[in-house]
Formats: sequence, structure tokens, C-alpha cells
Amino acid sequence: MEQDQALHSRRSITLKFDIPISKTHEFWDALRQSRFVTTKCKKCGQVTFPPQADCPRCMSNEFEWADVGPDATLVTYTYVQVTPASFAENDPYIIAIGEFAGGLKVLAWLEGIPHEKAKVGMKLKVEERTSKEGNPFYVFVPA
Amino acid sequence: MDRVAVVGIGHSKFGRRTDVNVAELAFESIKKAVDDAGVNKKDIQNVIIGSAGGWYEESLPAVIVNEYAGLDGVGTMRVEAACASGSAAVKTAYNSILSGEAKIAMAVGIEKMTEVDTLTSIELIGRAGSYMWEFENFGMTFPAYYALYAVAHMNKFGTTEEDMSRVAVKAHHYGAMNPLAQFQKEITLEKAMGSQVVSWPLKLYDACPLTDGSASVILASEEVAKGLTDTPIWIKGVGYSSDSANLSRRSDFVGLQASVDAAKRAYAMAKVTPDMVDVATCHDCFTIAELMAYEDLGFCKKGEGAKMIREGQTELGGRIPVNLDGGLKAKGHPIGATGVSMAVEITKQLRNEAGSHQAPIKNGVGLVHNVGGTGHYAYVTILSRN
Ligand SMILES: [Zn+2]
Repeated sequence: MEQDQALHSRRSITLKFDIPISKTHEFWDALRQSRFVTTKCKKCGQVTFPPQADCPRCMSNEFEWADVGPDATLVTYTYVQVTPASFAENDPYIIAIGEFAGGLKVLAWLEGIPHEKAKVGMKLKVEERTSKEGNPFYVFVPA
Repeated sequence: MDRVAVVGIGHSKFGRRTDVNVAELAFESIKKAVDDAGVNKKDIQNVIIGSAGGWYEESLPAVIVNEYAGLDGVGTMRVEAACASGSAAVKTAYNSILSGEAKIAMAVGIEKMTEVDTLTSIELIGRAGSYMWEFENFGMTFPAYYALYAVAHMNKFGTTEEDMSRVAVKAHHYGAMNPLAQFQKEITLEKAMGSQVVSWPLKLYDACPLTDGSASVILASEEVAKGLTDTPIWIKGVGYSSDSANLSRRSDFVGLQASVDAAKRAYAMAKVTPDMVDVATCHDCFTIAELMAYEDLGFCKKGEGAKMIREGQTELGGRIPVNLDGGLKAKGHPIGATGVSMAVEITKQLRNEAGSHQAPIKNGVGLVHNVGGTGHYAYVTILSRN
């Protein structure tokens, strides 16, 4: 049944997206200045991460930027050893979910610690990083 | 309300099917379902295709599949609910009969995942969370998603890596009895425990494989069903729910709220309780997912999933046998086909046609639990002899 007869298609495509961030670019701008912020609804007070310009609770589009962190607590984590195709150049990484005071949670890499030392409940700080392409992003490090 | 029954089932061989294209693979289960139901295919009014797509060459699988099988002029669409696309297709076909629009409808689940290389497949599945916030910078993978749940579950309830490996051993035990399963080999606990770490604490044997496969069910209205078969299997309850794409927005990581809510709805609609379930398929894309499913579906209390597997309560002869077809772990997990495959298995069980892995049927009630993503979607379908 399983004969390996395939027509190896001659056509390939590259998918690379230009993702609009105009409504929440301040998040990335603040990150470049070492500040981790997110959106807070002016009408109902809802704080949302990831940041979004339209409140998911009351649907108002009036919001302000609120400082988050930098202090968080590790809720759960994993050590990714088999990485996806586009991360083939990366060493294995730890992915963690950290919770800030007030209950807001963020998913990011946990750096600066061997994976055996990661522990649920440990204290973390969120820090900015810049990719080699120049894009800002953020990671957790042990506090 | 009119009743709707499963009157025909079909299932392809699951595995690495480099011998067939997407339409040929779908045809395998469609033909079996048509033969099993004893219907004229011209009488099938709606054909709903469950497929997540993206890893095979056809962009519009519904029309490709229908055309190949000679299902001309039918009402059709492709539905997507990630790994629950199959259950979403069954629900959509079911609704088309309930509404009076169709007397006979078919749900076809199909996926061909091995036409792209493995790391590309891992990438495509990893992107299926919240792309911008989980993949772009952090390279989430599906094992990583469930590993976050596993660590939280271990930390809160004392579930161990060995408990998770036990789920894999059980899956392979029953997979070995299923000639349509991708893996038909028993494994030992030592082998599962010693397998390569994919995303700690999950290892290769905690994860379902990449699979090509198809499954089909034909549904009919009560009047038509009774004319077609002496053993209609009734769809008694359909429950569904959804949850955030962003994992960071979940309240905890020890269970899937969408599963809990979907199950509540399905039980209420079917007027059954968890203890009445004779046999179930649970969404074991990863071993931790099966343990959480026991809890989320009310088979045991929260935190006691590991106890159920340790005590053999979900084995044949146990309180609620789960995944006697080998589950996603050993039978394979062709994303869009899985929910339909589960409905095929539970129909077989309720018809007493499961042979070597037949569960004892007391109340005539079977349950299908199908999760899309990491609880992004959840569907619970309750089937019954009565
Ligand atoms: Zn608001």
C-alpha cells in the first residue's frame, strides 16, 4: 500500500507577513525604551494583554497605556528541544508564562538560567531584547 | 425535535500515506460509509468536509473531494475548528438534518499532513495559537503548549512523567488491535519514559504522530434512518465551546475550560451523566491531554486523572474504557479527520462491532471528546443506542 511514489512539486512559495501594528505600536515603542506597557480601557478599566485598541469587555475604543511589571512569578514553563523549521538556527529555549501583580499573564522565553533550575513560583523580571533583524521583543529573566 | 442517527461509517487506513492524494484518501472512507449505510449516493444532500488544511496542495478540498467521489451538486463547505474540525463537520451535517434542510448528510474528515517535511509541519501547527504573541518571537510548538499544561498539572496535583507514559502504553496496547491504526506495536513503560524529550516534560511517546487519513459518517433523519438500518446510533447531545487563542489569557493550566463547558452542554442535552458513559474517545493529542480530559469530562474529580490511569479504570474492563481504537497517540491524528474517526469508533462500539477491543455496553451510551488547538475549540458528542 505505502509505495513512495510522489510527484515532487516544482512550485514553492514563501510566506512572510507584514503585520499591521498601527493601533498598538506604542507597545513596541515603549519596549525599545525598556518599558513594558499594555492597554487599559478608559471606560471600564479593563487591562488587557496582549494590548488591543478595542476593549474586549465593553467594546470602547478609548484606552490608555498602563505600566506592567517588571516583576512577575513563574506560573508554568517548558523546555523546547524540538524547534519549528523557522527556529532551526536557535538553541533549545525555555518558554514560560509569568504572572504580574494584578493577575495579568504574559508568555515569553525565560533566559539566563539553565532549564533544570526553572521552578514554578520563582520570581522573574521582564526585560526587552532586540532581534538581529532589529525588531524589539521581550523575555523573562530570573529576578 | 426530530432525531438524527449515524447510519453509515467509513474509515481509511491511518498512517504515512504517500500512496494516495487527498481526494483518493477521502474516497476510501466515503465509499465504505456509503456501502455501510446502503444509501444511493445521489440521495446525500449535504457533504461537510472537516479539514484544517495548509499542509497539502489543494486549497479547496471540499470540491476536490466531492468531484472525485461523484458527489455532484451537493451542498458543501469545508469547516475548520483545528483538531476538532471533524466534530465541527459532524455537527454541521447534524444541524442540516435537524433544520429539515436535508434527510441525509455526510461528514468527511480528511487531512494529509506528510506532504510537507516534518519541521514545516511542526511550524504550521505551532503557528496555530496566537501567531504574533506566541510564535513570531517565541517559536511555540504544539508539544510546548501541552507541556505548559503538563508542568502545571504535575506541580499542582503530583501527576508524574510516568503517569503520562502510562497513557501512551495503553494507547499502543489498543492500537496494536486496530488494523487501521498508524502504530500497531505495544510499547513498554521504560520505552515511553526513555524516549527523546520534545518539549520537557513531554517526550516523543507523549505525542501523537503526524498522520494522513480520512473518516466519514453518514447521518439521516429518524424516518430515513429507521428505513435504512436496525441499528441506528442516535446523536443525543452535541456540546461545544471555545477559549482564548492567547494561552496567557487562560485562568489556569490544569484543565481545558472549553472541554468542561462543552461536556456540560452535551450531558444536559443528552440527559445523561458521566457515570452512564459505557465507552469514550478522549482527545489524547498528548498524554497529559487524556488525563486532563478524564477530569474535564467528569469521569473523575479534578486532579485525579493520574489515579484513573494508574488504577486501570480507563482500560477495557475498567469503569470507563477510553480510546480503545488506540487514540490519537497510536491510531494517529490526521487533524481534520480525527473527530469523524472518533464518531466512527463510538458507533462501532455501540453497534457491538468493535471485535477484539469491544467494550461492554450497558447503558448504550458513548462519548466523543474532540479538542481543537489547546482547548481553543472543544466539542463533546454523545451517541446512544436508544
Ligand atoms: Zn472596557
